[in-house]
Amino acid sequence: MVDKILMVEDLRKYYPIRRSLSEILTFKRGRYVRAVDGVSFYVNDGEVYCIVGESGCGKTTTGRLVTKLIEPTGGVIRYKPSSALARINNEFVVGGYVDYRRLPKKYVKLLRREVQIIFQDPYGSLDPRQTIYSILEEPLVIHGIGNDRKEREELIFKVLEDVKLSPPEEFINRYPHMLSGGQRQRVNIARALILGPKLVVADEPVSMLDVSVRAEILQLMMDLKISRGLTYVFITHDLAVANYICDRVAVMYLGKIVEEADMLKLVNEPLHPYTKALISAVPEPNPSNRFKIREVPIVGEVPSATAVPPGCRFHPRCPYVMDVCRREEPPIKDVGGNHLVACWLY
Amino acid sequence: MKKLLHNELLRIFLSSNTSKVGITFLAIMIIISAYVVMFMPLDFGLRYWNNPTFWADYPKLVPPEWVNIFLGNKLLRHTILITEKPTLSLGDTKQYILTYSHDTDQLPQTIVFKLNNITFTYTPIIELSVRRPDGRVIDLLIIQPLTSGVSERVDLSGRLEVAVALSRFLKDEFNVSISATEVIQRKLEFKILMGTPVISNGYVDFKTLRGNYMFNVFLKSDDPTARIGSVEVVIFGWCYGLMGTDHLGRDLSQALLYGFPVALLIGVVTSVITAVVGALAGVVSGYYGGIVDEVIQRLCDVLNNIPLLPLLIFFMFVIRMNEELRRTVSPLAVIIIVLVVFSWAGIAIIVRSMVLSIKSQQFIEASVAVGASNIRIMFKHVLPQVAPFIFAQMMFLTPSAILSEAALSLLGLSDPSIPTWGQILESAFANQAMYLGLWWWIVPPGLLIMYSAITFVFIAQGLEPIVEPRLRKV
Amino acid sequence: MSLLDVKNLKIYYFTLKGVVRAVDDVSFNVREGEVLGIAGESGSGKSTLGYGLMRLVPPPGRIAGGNIVVSGRDIVSMDEGTLRREIRWKVISMIFQGALNALNPVYTIGKQLVEPIIFHEDVSLKEAYERAAEMVKLVGLNEDVLRRYPHELSGGMKQRVMIAMALILRPKIVIADEPTTALDVVIQAQIMNLFKKIKKEFNQSIIFITHDLSLIAEIADNVAVMYAGKIVEYGNSDNVFNTPKHPYTQGLLKSIPRLKSKEKLSWIPGTPPDLRNPPVGCRFHPRCPYVMDVCRREEPPIKDVGGNHLVACWLY
Repeated sequence: MVDKILMVEDLRKYYPIRRSLSEILTFKRGRYVRAVDGVSFYVNDGEVYCIVGESGCGKTTTGRLVTKLIEPTGGVIRYKPSSALARINNEFVVGGYVDYRRLPKKYVKLLRREVQIIFQDPYGSLDPRQTIYSILEEPLVIHGIGNDRKEREELIFKVLEDVKLSPPEEFINRYPHMLSGGQRQRVNIARALILGPKLVVADEPVSMLDVSVRAEILQLMMDLKISRGLTYVFITHDLAVANYICDRVAVMYLGKIVEEADMLKLVNEPLHPYTKALISAVPEPNPSNRFKIREVPIVGEVPSATAVPPGCRFHPRCPYVMDVCRREEPPIKDVGGNHLVACWLY
Repeated sequence: MKKLLHNELLRIFLSSNTSKVGITFLAIMIIISAYVVMFMPLDFGLRYWNNPTFWADYPKLVPPEWVNIFLGNKLLRHTILITEKPTLSLGDTKQYILTYSHDTDQLPQTIVFKLNNITFTYTPIIELSVRRPDGRVIDLLIIQPLTSGVSERVDLSGRLEVAVALSRFLKDEFNVSISATEVIQRKLEFKILMGTPVISNGYVDFKTLRGNYMFNVFLKSDDPTARIGSVEVVIFGWCYGLMGTDHLGRDLSQALLYGFPVALLIGVVTSVITAVVGALAGVVSGYYGGIVDEVIQRLCDVLNNIPLLPLLIFFMFVIRMNEELRRTVSPLAVIIIVLVVFSWAGIAIIVRSMVLSIKSQQFIEASVAVGASNIRIMFKHVLPQVAPFIFAQMMFLTPSAILSEAALSLLGLSDPSIPTWGQILESAFANQAMYLGLWWWIVPPGLLIMYSAITFVFIAQGLEPIVEPRLRKV
Repeated sequence: MSLLDVKNLKIYYFTLKGVVRAVDDVSFNVREGEVLGIAGESGSGKSTLGYGLMRLVPPPGRIAGGNIVVSGRDIVSMDEGTLRREIRWKVISMIFQGALNALNPVYTIGKQLVEPIIFHEDVSLKEAYERAAEMVKLVGLNEDVLRRYPHELSGGMKQRVMIAMALILRPKIVIADEPTTALDVVIQAQIMNLFKKIKKEFNQSIIFITHDLSLIAEIADNVAVMYAGKIVEYGNSDNVFNTPKHPYTQGLLKSIPRLKSKEKLSWIPGTPPDLRNPPVGCRFHPRCPYVMDVCRREEPPIKDVGGNHLVACWLY
């Protein structure tokens, strides 16, 4: 039995919209952007769990919630810490899991040693005024790892070699603008790994890189997963990338998970109409495609997250829409083999 | 680590001509200020500038000497003749002779005899006289000093006894009658002393007598101990020094020099403190947001809307009136403090909006994810991004501070003990320099104020490409 | 008969730190109704090439040599006035990268669409608006979008407006520079469908610039693969995708993640060279798995390996 390293239940994140004076005066109810609207999933230790969806579906917010960079409006996040964190105190460790809601502020720092994040933008996620050495040294200094400069330098050198920025001496004194996009992303990965985390959230780590560089970074992430025993929560909008790297995948739409399954199953037997549309939209390097129009069974554009359609939130765009879809939200159902769908068709 | 960054920035900074000029100007200012600090007494203001007696022997309201290069009719140079030993000693008379060669038609402003340190046991008699180039001798004055060890200063202008002597001389030698009172009233002392009367159409005019004049001081006493330490004759010319003099005879070049370090001090100190305070407030306000932000921003709103000048006038007035305050508080410090208090708000507001956009960048989020504290993020990540802007603002604030101080001085509100360029302008205007055409009193300090302002504006312009990368020349 | 004939084009950036040879002796042609895909990584010079075709290269860059002949006229030597009046937007137009920000936020869509018509042609305002309405419907938008402001539109809608704007004067060639970056995959598919429709219905020639080879396969008839300012492979889509000759093209194709297969991806190690100091000989040689001695010394000439399939590689 593989352990579940992360358990998320009914997670919600609402952002209030500023109300105009007339709205306040007429006591209209506050409107919210429902970025994450009741999301539940679990992640097994050592697997790559993908969250796939278009922009605005809430996947990035979910990633931030899992890393405790923002606080949820509702729901529970439970993480299974390594023994070091578990040993500290017992109030917030229930059944071997840390409940994010109950974690006191002073222990959040400890959590950060175990749960880390790789950012999307290789250009914006590194401080342009710091050298690579300084960027990588920062986590060590903050957490008091390494007693002197020499020890810290050793750790930095090692992590740079792990991300294949070799020889490390060549890179430590450079500034981010002197590195290519791929190299910067490696530094990002190095920074996430230098504290030795167990769970790493990767937020679109290759989307802003050239296609030819993506494969290398993805392979690097896979190798590191094996060599360091990591678990990934991989967020992306690119199904092809997800297919290459993921074990299990969840498809999000407007703040909810609409389908979740093993990657292979999802690609070969997609159930939810949205998933089907996503799969059909992925381009392929097949030159005969240029003679065919690509059929994407979907209508219109993603509605704003402030005005979520009633009933099944996908219904205005669904080619198979039925009456019940307009009225009630479909529940999540397991249709066999750990394949979950939220659709009235099933 | 920062070396690379500095080199790159330096190259960008020096890529425009304006900044090169600015830096040169600044270098000149610094060198002159260093010179002043090293070689001029620091209490110059109190000891000399505010002490009129120090300037007694300087001509008043005269332009600089180099003006003579441009003039056909040269202005009379200011001459000081001095001797410490008697030229002739005849029995009980010691004669001090000072020769002066006068070769222009212009008559001196005045002539002063200075008998320094007259020592004696028994009161001697001292006679002052002049032998003119035409051989005529005028006995001007007889002095009998009462106390030993005192100095005597005889200004020939406005002295009744001298006027009487001159009037008599005129009558005796040229048969022209002008009464002593008229001599004083019409300021004819030197026309008579150094001129030959010419009568035309019933009016008496004087033609200047050129040639060698001998000023004689006779010390008559049978007391062998009687002596005069030194005898000086000061012929007050119509031009002086590098920058001329003001109404008190004060050498303007010294005051102008002294103004350099003062301007730098006021300008730089004000702008540095303002920039630092403003930056810190802006960063804290922008980064924390929420109630901290609201409080700081409202404070900035209030400060920005209070009119600076009336407030400054009020403060200076209060200090002037209150004896105790006047002694303990340095008005200069007050000016600096008030300027800082009302300028930091402007910087804080701009820094805050910069911080708001920096805050949303991913590398800030990355630092949070790694566990950095707010303080660490503010100082290590946010502040360095706003630093170039702050530095540029410092350059802009400096001329503003200098000009504010000049404005205050012009209103008579600055620190009178330290001569600044604004002060010089103030006394110039107060003494009608504009109407009297005393350009050397007005133009140099005005130009220097402009110069110091331009220096910093040029440097600020040179800094623009650093702050705004899109302006950089590739 | 070629519509566009580019010969030995050189576009260099003359910076304080050296000359960046962004486009270094590039030649190709485009016929009527043909879509040419230009593929390359960041730094290959493809965007510079796109700008160069409209003589819009920003200083300190400029066209340093070569010819661009459009319908028999060489626009490299043309004077600015004629270029602006007769060529730009009328004969060649462009859909810029990051086009979502290319719309002026203070004017309505209609006003911005009508502007090029009024500038280039002598028609009444009413007629111009009618043409704009037609074009907007053609790209799949509702007519009333003309009255809206850019901030009211979604990303996909803005991209369609940019396409409409590029086509409004029915230019002979449209250059599309990464037109689908920043768009979601569903919208991207819809936009690509729109391109296909335009290509078919108008017999429109398009130069499609992107780093994503999958997108090129979706639309291009011919492909030019650029590396470090040079074209390394050029030919019919079928040839280039099915039988890629240049090691760089092969490497690119092997690195694309596919949806339908889980085969292991490979990639090209190393990074693209600094265009101020490109490597001696073949510019790709430091990263090439088949590098030979001659590759390190001499630049390979362009050779036809059969069926108008051109490669610049010493392997052939």
